[in-house]
Amino acid sequence: MPKKKVIETKKISRVFKNGDIQVRALSDIDIVIEEGEFVVIMGSSGSGKSTLLHILGCLDKPTSGDYYLDGVHVNSLNKNQLADIRNQKIGFIFQSYNLLPRTTALENVELPLVYDRSGRFSNSKELAKKALEQVGLGNRIYHKTNELSGGQQQRVAIARALVNNPALILSDEATGNLDSRSSIDIADLFVRLNNEGKTILMITHEPEIAQFAKRMIYLRDGRVLTDELIKNRSTKESALKDLEQTS
Amino acid sequence: MKQLLKTFKVAFQSIYKNKTRSLLTALGIIIGVAAVIMTISAGEGATQEVQGQISGLGTNLLMVATKSEHRGGIDVRMGRPIDEKDFDILQKNSVWISKLSPLIANGVRAIGPEGNKSTTIYGVASDYFDILSREIISGDIFSEEDVKAARKVCVIGETIKTELFAGEDPIGHQIRIDKVPFTIIGLLKEEGKGTMGQDQDDMLIAPYTTIQNRLYGRRRGYNMIMASAISEDHIEDAEIEITELLRESHRIIDGEEDDFEVTTQIELQEITGNITGILTLILGAIASISLIVGGIGIMNIMLVSVTERTREIGTRLAIGARESDILTQFLIEAIVLSLVGGIIGIALGIIGNQIIYKITDFYIPTAVNSILIGFGFSVLVGVVFGYFPARKAARLNPIDALRYE
Ligand SMILES: Nc1ncnc2c1ncn2[C@@H]1O[C@H](COP(=O)(O)OP(=O)(O)OP(=O)(O)O)[C@@H](O)[C@H]1O
Ligand SMILES: [Mg+2]
Repeated sequence: MPKKKVIETKKISRVFKNGDIQVRALSDIDIVIEEGEFVVIMGSSGSGKSTLLHILGCLDKPTSGDYYLDGVHVNSLNKNQLADIRNQKIGFIFQSYNLLPRTTALENVELPLVYDRSGRFSNSKELAKKALEQVGLGNRIYHKTNELSGGQQQRVAIARALVNNPALILSDEATGNLDSRSSIDIADLFVRLNNEGKTILMITHEPEIAQFAKRMIYLRDGRVLTDELIKNRSTKESALKDLEQTS
Repeated sequence: MKQLLKTFKVAFQSIYKNKTRSLLTALGIIIGVAAVIMTISAGEGATQEVQGQISGLGTNLLMVATKSEHRGGIDVRMGRPIDEKDFDILQKNSVWISKLSPLIANGVRAIGPEGNKSTTIYGVASDYFDILSREIISGDIFSEEDVKAARKVCVIGETIKTELFAGEDPIGHQIRIDKVPFTIIGLLKEEGKGTMGQDQDDMLIAPYTTIQNRLYGRRRGYNMIMASAISEDHIEDAEIEITELLRESHRIIDGEEDDFEVTTQIELQEITGNITGILTLILGAIASISLIVGGIGIMNIMLVSVTERTREIGTRLAIGARESDILTQFLIEAIVLSLVGGIIGIALGIIGNQIIYKITDFYIPTAVNSILIGFGFSVLVGVVFGYFPARKAARLNPIDALRYE
């Protein structure tokens, strides 16, 4: 029995217009991602990785092409439906965190539950605490955004993406600001979540982190250059061993 | 419903977390409301004060004067002067008039034992005191005898007493008015400033006969004749009667215009009503300016924080807030700040009025409409400038809101 298609894009393009200047960030992207996949997106800076992830996360709309999420034609959904999808199905980790200023880690992580209309969750504070513990921030829950380091803020953002137990996790350089050890921890967390059945898409610049995924899509100039399975997947242990050897 | 409760919580947290911004917004509203309340109340207070003084003149007052016309900035008398003949006719024939007095006013120099002063002397009959309800606090007014005999007696105001007698009791003493000695027989009760700001205690009152016979001669005529209608209901009857009697006496044929003017209390009230209306308008304009200033203050804060808030909205949208959640949150924030600021503003406005009363003795009743106007406008400004930028941001793609700078 074929697995369910979580993501399917058909000739997705995204063109940014700033006055007379046009930037073609994505051209004719055709990808299919099935349930339970763990995909890493790589490519040089400006190749369109974030742009693609924003569209897949229903934060932006393609200029042309069709996007199906769980078989639903996203292009034809209205704003409220999109908001509910973002809230219930997707956990998005931003390259620039996007936490609320002057707000504690706990409150930031709780935020998706504030807008949850499904009534799935009963104790949002407990859930938020658990998510923070998952990313190793159990001892920082009452710190405000500006009292946290870059890496800690990033982990708050990860916890926020996990708190609503989404089926699809989209991560834009979740480990960009972390040391190698913490990066491996996060990658391992993704592996575990993936083992639990979650579909994961992550962008990274670091080959060591990319090796944790099952499949790699390589973008260049807004097009898919290669799309292949990863042989010799890293595990936490193998990655830590490599780390010790290089240092 | 549950979502609304959650949004309420979010809104209150947001107000609390951004204390400076909240405070500045509320401050704009506070200033706007307080300023409007104080200016509009001052306008209404002045109006009431003026109207009170006019009614204080004696409610049944009628004034008869020669018709005058405005020519090149000065009043020019048009008809023949109002004089003794007119006075006699009114006294003998009128039914609707109970009291009657001529009035001759003249600028004079008065010299007393302790000083001298330029002032005004009013030549009147003894009815004058009743017509204008002016009371005497010591001594007495002059009698009809005094008027008939044109005795050199006078009643003086408080200001004259202060300046010419250094505050000593002046009754029985003499002063020289344009070199003619007068005996002071009475002192007027203090009245304070008049409608137009004139000192109503800076005056001398003497029998009109004396003024005519001893000071200026008889041919001049009167400035006016003042009269009281027998009751307030008959002011109009009295006005018609005076007009008819004087037209006859002045031999004005039908179809020709009067060469005199009869002004009643009611008309006077209308005129000053117009003046105070203008005053209220000016104060209203000042109030509007303070409202605009307050509004611009609020607008500024909103505009300054719009970048941060747009990003905040982007974040909320990105994790699944609906447009309506954002709008409700911002509306609640704006309303709460406006209400709190408005209430503090009202309190400050009322306190401000009290302080002005303490300092200047000018009683300002806080006008209800000023509260409504000030409050309404400020809430409007707060909500408009809080809500509409938020609405604009909430309609963006989440990613565009997040990128906003
Ligand atoms: N809002 C925008 N307006 C105009 N151009 C944009 C906008 N967003 C992205 N671009 C352009 O689209 C292209 C792809 O950008 P994108 O952010 O997707 O790159 P990326 O692969 O994520 O790069 P990085 O690794 O540096 O994060 C770039 O050339 C960028 O300049
Ligand atoms: Mg990027």
